[in-house]
Amino acid sequence: MDIEVLFFGVLAEVTGTGRKHYRDVKSFDDLKYRIGDEYPELIHYTYRIAVNNEIVTEDPVLTGGEEIAFLPPFAGG
Amino acid sequence: MSGLNNHERIMNTYVTQGPVKLSDISELIAKGGDFIDAGGHSLFLGQVRADVSDNKRVTAIEYSVYEGMALIEADKIIEMVMTEFSDVKSVKIIHSKGIVKAGEISLFVMVSAGHRRQASEACTRTVELIKERFPAWKKEILEDGTESWKGVK
Repeated sequence: MDIEVLFFGVLAEVTGTGRKHYRDVKSFDDLKYRIGDEYPELIHYTYRIAVNNEIVTEDPVLTGGEEIAFLPPFAGG
Repeated sequence: MSGLNNHERIMNTYVTQGPVKLSDISELIAKGGDFIDAGGHSLFLGQVRADVSDNKRVTAIEYSVYEGMALIEADKIIEMVMTEFSDVKSVKIIHSKGIVKAGEISLFVMVSAGHRRQASEACTRTVELIKERFPAWKKEILEDGTESWKGVK
């Protein structure tokens, strides 16, 4: 399945991209593994994950077409 | 709404490029008169502060906003505030994205309520919820041109 991944704040700089499209994703675990492999520096940062604009606290079950965002601690206002 | 129509708009929240403009603020204040059952409006203006970090002065902040999620979260924030404060008639939010210089406005909140106490308390609550839930990030731009992310790690 296809998954759109977004990186925000400092993570957009760490990964060098704000947005990346992943193809042939088998599961959330598979996606996590691929992202971790590609951007090993991510492990040094605190972030939460949102699926389709909702923050998730457990690993989501993906069905394809989701937008997954990596969100560092908010600092708005 | 002439100026604000140009921004991405869902309900009561606007994400604006650069500093919050005085013309947009006055437009919302003027619109406050539409709520004829309101007895008061409480406003909050958030300004970029020229903090000093590592002996260097902050000259600007560059905001990034996850806009899709931000508009959804802002709706939730407004719903929470209106549930908590039953006298509130309207909540309006303008948040910046991109570069905002020290001394310029990056956040505007306006709460209209039947009576002043709820207007003021609900305004404070709205700002707190924005700090907690609104998906935005700031990168400080320092006087020597270096940059530093706020609240990272």
